[in-house]
Amino acid sequence: MSELECLRGYIQDLEGRLYAAEARADSVAQEAELQQRRTIELSARLSAILSISAALLISRDVDAIVQLVVREAVGIFPGTSAVYLFLLDLEHDRLQLQAAAGSGDHQTGSALARIAILSPRAMLLVGPELEMAVERLGSDELDQLHNTPGWPPYSALLCPLRVESSRMGAIVLYGGVSAHLYHPRDIPFVQALADLTAVAIDEVQQRARAAILQRDLAITQSLHAEAQARLNAAQAQLLQSAKLAAVGELSASVAHEINNPLYAARNSLYLVEQDMDADHPQRAFLAIAQQELGRIARIITRMRDFYRPTRAELTATSVNILLRETLELVQTHLRHGHIHAVATLNPDLPATVAHADQLRQVFLNIILNACDAMPRGGDLRVTTQLLHARPEAPPTIGIHITDTGMGIATEHLAHIFEPFYTTKAQGTGLGLAISAHIITQHSGRISVESELGQGTTFTILLPVST
Amino acid sequence: MPSRQIYIVDDDSVAALITQRGLQTMLDGQSTVLVTSSPNAAWLACATDHVDLLIVDPNPQISATLSLLRAVRAFRPHIPLLVLTAYDTPGLRAKMRELGVVHYVAKPIDLRDLLPVVYAALAVNPPTSDPPLATISLKHPSGSP
Repeated sequence: MSELECLRGYIQDLEGRLYAAEARADSVAQEAELQQRRTIELSARLSAILSISAALLISRDVDAIVQLVVREAVGIFPGTSAVYLFLLDLEHDRLQLQAAAGSGDHQTGSALARIAILSPRAMLLVGPELEMAVERLGSDELDQLHNTPGWPPYSALLCPLRVESSRMGAIVLYGGVSAHLYHPRDIPFVQALADLTAVAIDEVQQRARAAILQRDLAITQSLHAEAQARLNAAQAQLLQSAKLAAVGELSASVAHEINNPLYAARNSLYLVEQDMDADHPQRAFLAIAQQELGRIARIITRMRDFYRPTRAELTATSVNILLRETLELVQTHLRHGHIHAVATLNPDLPATVAHADQLRQVFLNIILNACDAMPRGGDLRVTTQLLHARPEAPPTIGIHITDTGMGIATEHLAHIFEPFYTTKAQGTGLGLAISAHIITQHSGRISVESELGQGTTFTILLPVST
Repeated sequence: MPSRQIYIVDDDSVAALITQRGLQTMLDGQSTVLVTSSPNAAWLACATDHVDLLIVDPNPQISATLSLLRAVRAFRPHIPLLVLTAYDTPGLRAKMRELGVVHYVAKPIDLRDLLPVVYAALAVNPPTSDPPLATISLKHPSGSP
């Protein structure tokens, strides 16, 4: 082989290498161009996602959020024919279309959304996979879809909208017949978009729920304050009445003690007068003494009647209504004290002529005492019944107020209706004394039965016509 | 006309004395009016002796007087009862009503007002025709408790 041939061979080899190098350079250049395009596309997607994220952060309306997401999704995923966003309607257990963009068919979107919401994460379905997935939903639906224009799409991106383990809807994107296929690298983006959307919607919904709770709380606080004010007023009235009644009780007991000597004094004078001559000079003074003793008798009568209601204050009164009103008054008190109240009221109870405010005070006093006896909660039972002691006797209203509290010790039980007798540090000892006084004034009776650790029952008997 | 026997049970001895003296005087010697502060003694008299009227002041603090009234109502129902009390309350009235007491008056009543009530309780006509206005009705009134 001549030297020339060797050179030619070497040149050919060099040319071959050059071609190969040029081919590799073209390939690298194409790859670089592709990577650059992908980088630009990636950058654009990230930028779009960040923009959406910023917009979602300031958005306060679910509708605005979903409209923004579907609008932007079309741009983030080129070749998308249609975007659908469905939210779960928990009340009717169905997917409700919230927003759509592009030119798709609602039925296709709905079928794909049903697949998406069952999926744990974002998924990409291509060609036959789509039909197989829809087939699993049910044959009827597939038959309908076959008649839908544009079915089946080339590919679809599906993703559930979830926050933690709670599903709230789905986002569906699919490409039309002429569009390019979605790529697996689109999955993280659609997942990010869905997660952002879910968090934004959840935040809006949480904020709405918080607002409702805040409003309910404000209403509850207002009602509580109102109920507390009414209860405070009733308790203040109770205390005021108890003070007045204590004075009345004292007056009545003094009056009773004076009656005997007054009776003796007046009638002694009367007997003296009977034996005295009509023209006796001292007769005038005897008359004065009798008149003045008569005055004392009238004063005593007024003292005795100090706390007795006048006829004008007596009205036909429904004991059942009074008990219901009293329980209503202490409703908040009972709820806060974890006390479960049950009223079993005889609907056939006739009205009784009574001083309604005074009876209400009696019921309030006994019920509040029952609450005090149950510091850790318990049951309060209020019962009314109509009693007939004898067929010919007038009927009597029986009222029983029972608690499951700590009970009253035997040594206290005999004294609880005495004025100023109390076992409470802050008690006046007047509540039950005045209650007993009021019931007595109504020709009724009050009694108590109690067992330590078991509870207490107050029984009030009121004649139907007092 | 045989002498009527009236028993007074009152723990206030002065008041009892005045009632006794007053009735004794005003009933014109036709009655014997006796006084005791002991409900037991009164019951003994009702059980063994002839008693035409029992006048009782039932002090609510002393249960023996109430027991006396119950015993007379149960075992000597023919003996009329007159409650003459210094402890008048609606509660006592209710209690007396339950015991079947018909004649009920409150101190300090004038003797001249008490006399017609006593006649009514004895079921005899008084010398005058005045009705016994001083009795407090123990029937269920429609107004005051």
